[in-house]
Amino acid sequence: MLIVMPDGSRRMMEAEGSRIEDILNSLGINPVEVIVAINGRIVSEEETAGESDELKIVRFVHGG
Amino acid sequence: MLSDAERTRYSRQILLFGEEGQKRLKKTVVFLAGAGGLGSAMAFYLAAAGFGRIRIVDCDQVDLSNLNRQILHGVSDLNRDKALSAHDALMGLNSEIEVDALVETMTEENIDRLVQGCDIIMDGMDSFAARYMLNRAALKSRIPLFHGAISGYNGQATTVVPARTACLRCIFPRAPPTSVFPALGSTCGVIGSIAVTEAVKYVTGTGRLLENRLVLWDGKNACLDELACERNPLCPDCSSLYPSDPSDKRSDG
Repeated sequence: MLIVMPDGSRRMMEAEGSRIEDILNSLGINPVEVIVAINGRIVSEEETAGESDELKIVRFVHGG
Repeated sequence: MLSDAERTRYSRQILLFGEEGQKRLKKTVVFLAGAGGLGSAMAFYLAAAGFGRIRIVDCDQVDLSNLNRQILHGVSDLNRDKALSAHDALMGLNSEIEVDALVETMTEENIDRLVQGCDIIMDGMDSFAARYMLNRAALKSRIPLFHGAISGYNGQATTVVPARTACLRCIFPRAPPTSVFPALGSTCGVIGSIAVTEAVKYVTGTGRLLENRLVLWDGKNACLDELACERNPLCPDCSSLYPSDPSDKRSDG
């Protein structure tokens, strides 16, 4: 699947059927600091991603 | 009724939504949480647009390091209560409206009292702990919440309409670690402006709201992105108050 990292860089990863949380952990990203969208839709980290999905990882902000 | 002065003052936006829309803005009581960077941008545009009453809450005092972004305050306001400084700045811009300045810390104990009587809530806070409190108060009182947040060149915004859209907790289930965040006044301006545009649209019934959509602003690359979101049927904040739409097959049990 195609993964769009928080810095906007893109990488391909073989992770068919992997849970989002596991994918984040394997990328060294703390799940608490990001939201993840599959094909443009925000999903929970319990969901799984398919091989043809685009997974976008966004570091959301908290300041004001 | 609008006075002649109000008709003149708001004439260019009355072209957008008519005198009826302007009267609706005038009748609207806004709860503005925070008079910091985001709160400053929101406050000025809310006041300029003619929202009739703005209740602005902030417990802090103005510091020199605030002035790069918190445009409600100036050098002569250093060490003053931000809420009071905000009151004076907004009155200077538009004396047709009313501004209630509250120098208070929002807590679980007082939040329901603070938002009582308000029609909309603007999120100008700087932590998710405070935002979750606002979110719960909005849900409980069934008041829309216009969310914004910033860090450096980045920002995000969405519109929460209780029972109709994902709430803040549906979108952000857990608070990120607190940290000192970089802040740029113009990013506050972008996000604060989006949030006020949403509020104007909601009150006047114009346009398409940021419902179930999270807008992401990346100022460093000058990119605006959008992600879809939806209600979480197991959301700890909204699911018990507003069970999911019965037409949603997943909630049929």
